[in-house]
Amino acid sequence: MYKALVACRAGVGSSLMLKIKVNEVVRENKLPIQVEHSSLDGVPGFDGELLITLVDVAQELSNKGIKQHIIGIANIVDKKEIFEKLNKFLQGIEI
Amino acid sequence: MILLSNILEEELIQLNVKADNWEDAIRKGTLPLVVKNKVTKEYVNKIIEIAKSIGPYIVITKHVALPHAPAEFGANETAIGITTLDRPVNFGNEANDPVKYLFCLSATDNNSHLEALAELVKLLENEDFFKLLDTSNSPKEILSYISTI
Repeated sequence: MYKALVACRAGVGSSLMLKIKVNEVVRENKLPIQVEHSSLDGVPGFDGELLITLVDVAQELSNKGIKQHIIGIANIVDKKEIFEKLNKFLQGIEI
Repeated sequence: MILLSNILEEELIQLNVKADNWEDAIRKGTLPLVVKNKVTKEYVNKIIEIAKSIGPYIVITKHVALPHAPAEFGANETAIGITTLDRPVNFGNEANDPVKYLFCLSATDNNSHLEALAELVKLLENEDFFKLLDTSNSPKEILSYISTI
């Protein structure tokens, strides 16, 4: 089981909505991912493997040398996009 | 439990607003929240400041923005406003531009409004809802639609 953190700039809006959709995708596809959420302030203390956020925030984070794999979602209600990106992460890790 | 219909008011819904650009759209979209003291002016400034520094983080799906900032910058009361634009404007978000619908959010903490956001996620997937937003001239009609779903 992998731990994922859904984070956005404020932690009160987009990250919560994204978490709802990510959870749906995880449940429907029985993916081995456990999902938490926070604002970006929660990122440094996060000890899991995966960060999920919006595309522009993902770009910002990737410049900061974060140790986790980072997924940026462009459209938070697009379950296909979420599934494909989660799947890519899972395949990458299992190879 | 806080539902969408608990934090949305008729006075917070504005249809066919004219906006010159994304910043103007955010200022006009959040104006009813400021007038009704749900957020401070500083809160609105913070949304714009964050968007300028890191990009259009508030554009979350096709043609939809969710302007919001962390609670400590002036979210007085949990609330949401709906604004549709007369003419869509670009926010600089490649995947989802242009933005026509703004859901301006004020949240005083990070979990009490979770149910309301879950309802909003469902609305964002509801084509009938967007058709109604496009054709209706009545905030009351929008509010009653949301109350019944």
